[in-house]
Amino acid sequence: MAASVLTRFCINKSKGSIRFIQRRYRVKTKWAATRPTFPATELALHNFDTSYSIQLRDLWPSIRVAMLSEQKYGALINSFSSAPNVITELEAQGCKDFISIDCTRNEVHQSSLDSMTSHRDSAELDPAALQPSMSPDIKCLVFPKGDISRFNPARPDSSGILGYYLLDAASVLPVLALDVQPGHTVLDLCAAPGGKTLALLQTHSVNHLWANDLSGSRTMRLRRTLQSYLPKEFLEENKIHITSTDGRQLGMTEEKSFERVLVDVPCTTDRHSAMVEENNIFKRSRTKERQKLPLLQTQLLLAGIQATRGGGNIVYSTCSLSQLQNECVVQQAISLAQQELGITVQVQDLRWFAQCFSDTFHFAPQLSVGELVLPHLCANFGPIYMCKLQRMN
Amino acid sequence: MGTHVCRKQMLRWMWRWSVCPVAVSRGHMPFCSTQGEPHQVNPSHGGQVTHRPGNQLSLCSLLEMGFSETQAKEMHEGATKSRGKHVPSVMTALLLLGLNPSSILKIMQKCPEVYSLKGADLQQRIDHLRKMGLVEGSLQRMISHYPKIMLLPVKRVNMVSRLLREKCLFTIHQVTEILRDSPEVLEEDLAQLEYKFQYAYFRMGVRQPEMVKAKLFRLPLSELRCRHCFLERRGLYQTPDKKGQTLILNPALKDVLCVSEETYLTQVAMATAEEFHVFRKLMAREQEEKGREDEYSSDEDEEDKDDVLHRRKHHWNTGYKKDRK
Repeated sequence: MAASVLTRFCINKSKGSIRFIQRRYRVKTKWAATRPTFPATELALHNFDTSYSIQLRDLWPSIRVAMLSEQKYGALINSFSSAPNVITELEAQGCKDFISIDCTRNEVHQSSLDSMTSHRDSAELDPAALQPSMSPDIKCLVFPKGDISRFNPARPDSSGILGYYLLDAASVLPVLALDVQPGHTVLDLCAAPGGKTLALLQTHSVNHLWANDLSGSRTMRLRRTLQSYLPKEFLEENKIHITSTDGRQLGMTEEKSFERVLVDVPCTTDRHSAMVEENNIFKRSRTKERQKLPLLQTQLLLAGIQATRGGGNIVYSTCSLSQLQNECVVQQAISLAQQELGITVQVQDLRWFAQCFSDTFHFAPQLSVGELVLPHLCANFGPIYMCKLQRMN
Repeated sequence: MGTHVCRKQMLRWMWRWSVCPVAVSRGHMPFCSTQGEPHQVNPSHGGQVTHRPGNQLSLCSLLEMGFSETQAKEMHEGATKSRGKHVPSVMTALLLLGLNPSSILKIMQKCPEVYSLKGADLQQRIDHLRKMGLVEGSLQRMISHYPKIMLLPVKRVNMVSRLLREKCLFTIHQVTEILRDSPEVLEEDLAQLEYKFQYAYFRMGVRQPEMVKAKLFRLPLSELRCRHCFLERRGLYQTPDKKGQTLILNPALKDVLCVSEETYLTQVAMATAEEFHVFRKLMAREQEEKGREDEYSSDEDEEDKDDVLHRRKHHWNTGYKKDRK
């Protein structure tokens, strides 16, 4: 067939100006110097399709379309800003603070439950945890379900402090679950770029905050973020200690130093990996790094556990859907802590927590341990996984 | 209604118009009491006798055509309002098609601009549509359902037909089917039409026979894109690779387009209506912003590829959005 094509080629083009290219000079793709490249986002999606269709089954198509569409943001209110009308201006645009709404609704529900005699075995709701203890000072405004409006960028007040921080509203949940009480010393093991760190500070309960990140450049970004959102006086008070080291070391150097530890580990950042090509963790050159992630995550969590005082809380969170990076890591860390370090760690049930916020977020049903916020077009937050642990000894 | 009967009636009317120049004044509609009373023809207007009554549609003639009194009244009102100069010849052309009075009335109600046409033009357009392959039965149905087609000049119909044949490579039979199923295609902007075809061909990997079966051109591009991208992002539709292969079985185009939204959601996409409505809003915004981006971006990169098809495919966004930040 090739021969017949060539002869035709020859006859047709002989009148024109195009030369007849001899067969041996044609480009031979078999020997081409560069291999065809698939974009990393495509590799990521392929990876997700393979694993999550099995893990999440019927839920996966809805999650997939949500992750490939524009995500929804929340505005974390910066209470350090002196601007008076930040919240009212935002509310005028139609958004509401989901934390106060969901909490008050939950309290009303609880009080109505308490007043009734319930024969039903409250296996779903642990009676001791019926009163959710959450820092009410954290305010995060979101647009209603199905509303795709965007936030305008925050404006600085008279002292140059920004009024709010735009982030995935589900990122606030691990901070809420951590339940920082007044006077607590808090460690944020992988703090950059600083959204959760900022949320921690909004509780106004932090006595001392240690924010760490491995990467120097990311730590710089964290510093810049804090400078944009916190008054100089606050930063000068030495309440915040920023380091740029391997978090795994902090487990040994800062043993039993903190009441609360947040371990927001590096992960495959599913949503980001499906959309952004630049420096994507699914590109072939980073394959080994990606495959070693669960190990790194387990080590970081162990370090976080080590750094916690007896009776303190640890919250482990990722922004991936993968079981290997979520439940498996938690379970591995718990057993390793027991066997290798003799530390007993107990999982704290967050089901009431998930139920409280089920109007704003879509939670995955029945995880073996922890809670998972699933992206959904009507509530396009997440994915965020979180698990709360308590150190018993 | 048989053409034979039509022609007989036609001759009768033409006789009536030539000898019964009843001038109808606005607002007053004299009803003819008898049918066969010829008035004296004014000899000074001899040459124009046939023209003057031909310009105005008399109620008698309408009744003769088979319209009921109320129908005739309505037709007459419409004709006078439109100030059409050749209404009777328009009527002739329509009647020649074999349309019954109630259909004609409906057409005029749907599309009063038809009154303003010239009979000869209309006849020419109808003949042209016949040449395009629209046979009796489907021609009448099409005109009844989509009377605007009569307003389109022959040149326009030819341009669309040529685009479909030469650029989109539909066969003549397929073009006829497209015109029959989706006559609105004749009014669409040519560039948009070609884009819609290219979207289905390259982006969705659909070929011409499937496009015709799925009545592709009935749907606006935004709806086509919405339904397709929703499936694609859910992982239920894949653009075929160079060899035309996909990892999954794509649903047939007609199952995606020809069904109601409800059926599409429950059978094909397996999603809730809320999801789809939010998605539609997001898509609309994405497209709007993409349009603005394209205005500012530089020319398409002219990559050195031999295969024209491949070059075209290269410019398509395969659904993996790039970060806009």
